[in-house]
Amino acid sequence: MSKPDEKDPLQMTVNGKAVSLSIKPSWTLLHVLREELRLTGTKKGCEQGDCGACTVLMDGKTVNACLVLALQAQGSVIETIEGMGTAENLHPLQESFLANGAVQCGFCTPGTLMSAKALLSDNPSPSLQEIRVGISGNLCRCTGYTKIVKAIQSAASRKP
Amino acid sequence: MQNFEFYSAVTIEDGLACLSERGETCRIIAGGTDLIPLLRSEEVRPVCVLNILNVEALKGVAEEGDCIWIGPATTFTEIMDSGILQRSAPLLVQAASSVGGPQIRNRGTVAGNIATASPAADVLPALMALDATLEVQSLDAGIRRIPLTEAILQPYRTCLRSDELIVGISMPRPSSDTRGGFEKLGRRHALARARMNVSVVLRTDPDGCVADLRIVPGAVMPVARRMTEAESVLLGRRPEPGVVETAAEALAEGILKTTGRRSSSEYKLPVVKNIFKRVLQRLC
Repeated sequence: MSKPDEKDPLQMTVNGKAVSLSIKPSWTLLHVLREELRLTGTKKGCEQGDCGACTVLMDGKTVNACLVLALQAQGSVIETIEGMGTAENLHPLQESFLANGAVQCGFCTPGTLMSAKALLSDNPSPSLQEIRVGISGNLCRCTGYTKIVKAIQSAASRKP
Repeated sequence: MQNFEFYSAVTIEDGLACLSERGETCRIIAGGTDLIPLLRSEEVRPVCVLNILNVEALKGVAEEGDCIWIGPATTFTEIMDSGILQRSAPLLVQAASSVGGPQIRNRGTVAGNIATASPAADVLPALMALDATLEVQSLDAGIRRIPLTEAILQPYRTCLRSDELIVGISMPRPSSDTRGGFEKLGRRHALARARMNVSVVLRTDPDGCVADLRIVPGAVMPVARRMTEAESVLLGRRPEPGVVETAAEALAEGILKTTGRRSSSEYKLPVVKNIFKRVLQRLC
């Protein structure tokens, strides 16, 4: 057990790379990703699990990184938006979002893409309702969701 | 967030030892969806946080004879995915699927919903309607079994002592002719705290009379309970519109009697009647 001012070791895999850090127990996974690992693609929205801007994949499931104490991710496999595609080589979902007008300010986009990716992994041919439930943990203040849903449908139907 | 010591229990005994020594200044964390906002706002300032998510013995859904056992660290997603619960207790699956959004459901746990004891909890009232019992353990006192309806003392306060850990939730397996239904009202279809929810469990006998009925509305009283005053109106009778209306009246009156008139009563009392009738209708 650690003392309040000491740091604890944390080992996890982030976007395929092993990561080893010394962190304060009170730090959330969100804080560690953004501030310690400088992976700022994951956004800080409400910090209480109400918006989904901080959505990442933890051991294959979507979670709000703001609601995971970093030490709870000990030994976990984390995927963030940075692991999803590159500018030269976009993930099909990213292409679809751009092609279908699903990105306006872009703030909700990383989290929404993570949720969409997890949805299509589990359910390659989701119904409209399943898509809506799949992204129901991600708030978007710009698009009204219609184009986001269309982008996901389009990406799903394009997959082999 | 004020810093704290963090300990991850590997076994139940591990966790109990930690609580026995430091339970007074320790907070248990499972999914963290309720606790972490409290830590951030410093509404709670524990010296130590005990993580129980790694304890395998606290997870899972199993059938044990006539009972269904649910591990306290079972997430809402795992509840939804459980074949046993889909078959035998779909009410619980519906309640779990109404919590938050997918990300919250992947972390939030059944015992967390119970231990937080929010008046607006979704899974807690459903478990009450299913006659659930808590299994609670400490180093000093061993295992206690507490009916869930007796475990919630006040909003945000259970009867758990600081050295106690919830180690199981069990309930009688509903008979195959028992039906359960759940409906939740919130400001959104997801990511919404319940403004109201209603859990109903119904069994009718071969000539259509109500043989067993549990009604537990949530987010309408400080502490959820079975509304026996409404249940008794329908017991032994056919759920025909007139009787159902009388039961709905008794439901609203029972709530009003418990809470007194509140600013929300004007909205909630007529609406809870309608939601109850709608849920019951679907089960008949």
